[in-house]
Formats: sequence, C-alpha cells, structure tokens
Amino acid sequence: MKEKETLLTQLADCVLNMEDEEAAGIAEEYIEEGYPAQEGILSGLVVGMNQAAELYEREEYFIPELLICSDAMYNGLDVLRPHLPRSEGEKKRQVVIGVVEGDTHDIGKNIVKIMLEAAGYEMVDLGRDVPPKSFVEKAKETGASVLALSTLMSTTMGNMEKIIRMLDAEGIRDQVKVVVGGAPVSQLFAEKIGADGYSENAVEAVKLIDRLMEA
Amino acid sequence: MEEKNSCAQGRSSQKERLYSAAHRTGTDRPPCICPGGMMNMISKESMELSGCFWPEAHSDPEKMAGLAVALNRAGGFENYGVPFCMTVEAEAMGAQVNMGNSLAEPHVTESPIRGPGELEKLKPMDLSAGRPAAVLAAIRLLKKEQESSGVPIIGNLCGPVSLAGTVTDMGVLLRTFRKEPEKAERLMDFVAENLIAFGREQIRAGADAVCISEPSGTGEILGPRFFEAYSVKYVNRVLDALEVPVKIVHICGDLRSVYRQLAGLHCHVFSFDSIVNISEIKPFLEGKAVMGNVNTHAIGTMSADKVGTLAENALSKGVDLLAPACGLPVSTPLANIQALVAAAGRVDSGQA
Repeated sequence: MKEKETLLTQLADCVLNMEDEEAAGIAEEYIEEGYPAQEGILSGLVVGMNQAAELYEREEYFIPELLICSDAMYNGLDVLRPHLPRSEGEKKRQVVIGVVEGDTHDIGKNIVKIMLEAAGYEMVDLGRDVPPKSFVEKAKETGASVLALSTLMSTTMGNMEKIIRMLDAEGIRDQVKVVVGGAPVSQLFAEKIGADGYSENAVEAVKLIDRLMEA
Repeated sequence: MEEKNSCAQGRSSQKERLYSAAHRTGTDRPPCICPGGMMNMISKESMELSGCFWPEAHSDPEKMAGLAVALNRAGGFENYGVPFCMTVEAEAMGAQVNMGNSLAEPHVTESPIRGPGELEKLKPMDLSAGRPAAVLAAIRLLKKEQESSGVPIIGNLCGPVSLAGTVTDMGVLLRTFRKEPEKAERLMDFVAENLIAFGREQIRAGADAVCISEPSGTGEILGPRFFEAYSVKYVNRVLDALEVPVKIVHICGDLRSVYRQLAGLHCHVFSFDSIVNISEIKPFLEGKAVMGNVNTHAIGTMSADKVGTLAENALSKGVDLLAPACGLPVSTPLANIQALVAAAGRVDSGQA
C-alpha cells in the first residue's frame, strides 16, 4: 500500500514531467487505495499543473510542453472526477471562453482554459470562430462571471468591441467581466473598447480573473 | 505624394529603393512597404477606390491585382503584394475555407487531417487551378503594371509551421513536435516542398520579393529549441530553394526567447511585432535589413499626425524599411497609410 502523500506527489510529477500516459494509472491506484478524489485533484494534479506554469513563466517550458502537461492533468481528472462527492460546496464561478468570429487560431485560448480550469473555474468553451451573438447568449444563459475573448488576427479584433456593445445593449454589461487576449491585443486596446482587463499570457490571465473576482 | 512613380524624376524607383534597402547598399530614403499575405495592407477605403472588393478579390486575378494597384496609386504602400490572406495554400491542400466578406479576411474552418500521421490524405497543391492559379495570374498582371510604375511585387507564402498547424490542428502538431518528431518532420517536409513549388511559380510569374510570415511558428509558442528545429529549419529550406532578389521573413510575437536563433534565418529582411524593441533586437540581426514596426492598432485608430510621429520614432530607431508591425485592420483610414509613407518620404539620407 502506498502512502497518500507518495501518490499525490506522483500525480503532480506526472503532470509536471509530461508523463501523460502514466497519469490515469496512478489516479486509479490512488482511488483504489480509498483516498479522496478532491484531494487528488487539488493536491496532486493541480499542483503539477501549477508547477508546469511556473516553468512556463521562467521560459523553461513553452506551449508544446504545457499542452502535454495538460493532457496528463486531464487524463488524471477523467479518472478522479467520477469519484467526487455530488454537490460539493459552493458553485464554481463560470468563465465563458472562445475565439471571436473570423479566426480559428485557438492554441492561446486552449492554454488559458487549461490554466483557469486548474485554478478552479468552471469553463464553458465555445470553441473558435464564434459569432458575437453566441458569446452574449451564452453569458445570459449561464450567468457566467467572466467572458474571455481571444483572437490572433488583428483584422478580427473589432468583434471584441462588438460583443461589449451587445452586452451594453442587452443591459447585462455590469453582470459580467470581459477580458481579452491574443497576439494583436494590448492593454491599450482593452481600455479603448471598454473591456475589464487584458493579459499577456495564460498565467497572467488567471491572476487577472482572480483579481476581478475579488473586486 | 511627390514620391509616387518618381523614377522619371531621376530618383529611385520604388523597386530599386526596396532592393537597395533590403541589401543595405544605401538608399535615398527608406521605403515604406506592407507585404500583403498575413501582413494585410487592404482597407475598406482601398476597396472602394478600386471597385475591387473582398471576398471576390481573393479569387479573381483582375480584382486581386486591381486592389493591390489602387492602394499604391493612392499614395499607399510602395509595393504591390498578393494574396491578401493565409488560406491559399491550406485550401489547395484540402482545408475548408470561409471566404469572409468585405471586412473579414478568409479563414480556415476545417483542417483536412487530424494529425501528422494522416499525411497521405493531404493533397499536393495544384498550382494550375483555384486560388493558387489566381494568385499567379494576378502577379503576371502586376508585372505588366510594373513596366510603367516601377513598383515592386511581393509574393507571400504562409510560414511552414503555420501552414502545418492549419492543415492539421496546431495543438496536435505541437504535441507531435515533442513526442513523435519523425512524423512531424514528414509533414513539415511535405509542406515545405509545396511552399517551394508555389514560391518558385510566384517568382516565375514576376514576384521581385517573397515574404514568409510565421504567426504560429514563433518563439513565444515554440521556445528556442523547437523554433530552431522547425521554424528556422523549414523557413530556411523554403528560402534556400527560391531565387529571388529580396527575401523577407516576418515572425510574430515577443522574440526575446529566440533572439539568438534569428541570425540563422536566410533572409535579407527581417520583420517583427511592435512589442519587440527595435534597439534591443538590432544587434541580433547583423547583416539583415530591419523592417517594421509601427503598431497596427495605432495605424488603424489614431490620427494621421500621431501615425506620422510613430513612424518617425521607428525610423529614428533605425528601421531600414518602414512597415506596419502586423496586418492592418480593414478599417484603417487611407490617410493614416499615407501618413506612414509620407514619414518615410521626409527622411533625407543625403545620398539622393
């Protein structure tokens, strides 16, 4: 029988060291030993993902590495999630995320989604090439706290402003924080279109949204 | 607009000026260009001026050429450049493309293969049909125009990593770079071969310069190791196979993590994003002409005066070719593009 701490470290290491094919096996072992799923996620997989994010911030990891780390995290999550007790505690805050219409580059969006998921947000992913209307409808339908908009193409940035104007028109602008990101987007642009925030990368996006949620 | 078609007045033609600036052999003043392709130069106003509109101008050679010529004639950028998007190659390899509308450029909606392992399902580009043929026909039309205008023609190619990440999912490709490099390389070989064939035909049709843009094969995304192993290697493979007077490479994003790798690019001209500091990157680009890097959002939204000041700032930091740092928004006022060109026109190097 393995100690809980040993297995938690192994779960974290699987994620950090990109051992995506081993993560599920260790998660199964952890469950078979009768340890709580919630702790396996928060003190195992998420710890590993946060360590990977630190390496990314230090520029030792880049996007290929983060993607494989996240594969390991999700492989572990698939095993642990069914064992979570039902209706645990308070409802998680929701973030609706997507790449705005006219663009299908979604790597950045996917990384932000992974990091926010690891940080405890419930993600509603609309995918890529998403019409402004869909963002607004989804925000209304879910009552999400945050709308996260991404684009890689300067020619499609206008859609971000359009979404904010549509939220205004619907009278729900003050109910949802809007954050924007992507290569051509800047703090200046975010301020100009009236977004609540901009972040340069996925790790910063988590800090930004944490900040907005506290405010 | 005094610079327009000024070869007749004994000053450099726009083509000569581009060549001299790219090869750093001394010019009367820096050229002001925007290559096209990912580096969009087309605006709503230039469509209205020419009567040639998107999306038709992406597929119709006369409209494509007409749009390129109209912008230059109106005192816009000192080059012609086609195509106006990054989807020509991917579509010819089997990708589904939404052609956009008058304000939105085309974009790929569905990749033809799910991963590099499905390489055999990818079509080689047919250069005699569809949009590749339209681009080549447009270049031939521009070549005729050039006889009287002296305006250089820039042909554009999608960067090999960006193209590979379009014909298959970018996330899958990045994982394959790390986990199955042989598979990734076979896909990259295929992509590079097709880009070489398309580039060679662009040159044969009359392109004076070729610009390769890598929005996805960047230092930020790949990190130094894979940037070197994939972006630099395959951009160079394409460049080495092309015989053309001017070779331009644009890499998006923050380049700090890959400054050292940039020297290894076999291009004459290097172009980069506005978040990159010109003075900081210059020492790493020895022997290359530096192109850039006026913020496109600023060009798109600020006053013409302010754009002129930003352009002067870039020039004073030592750009050899003045250019937007990325693709321009379609809403960019023509007056702001003219202000950019005018700023280059005010430079007096004393060599005229």
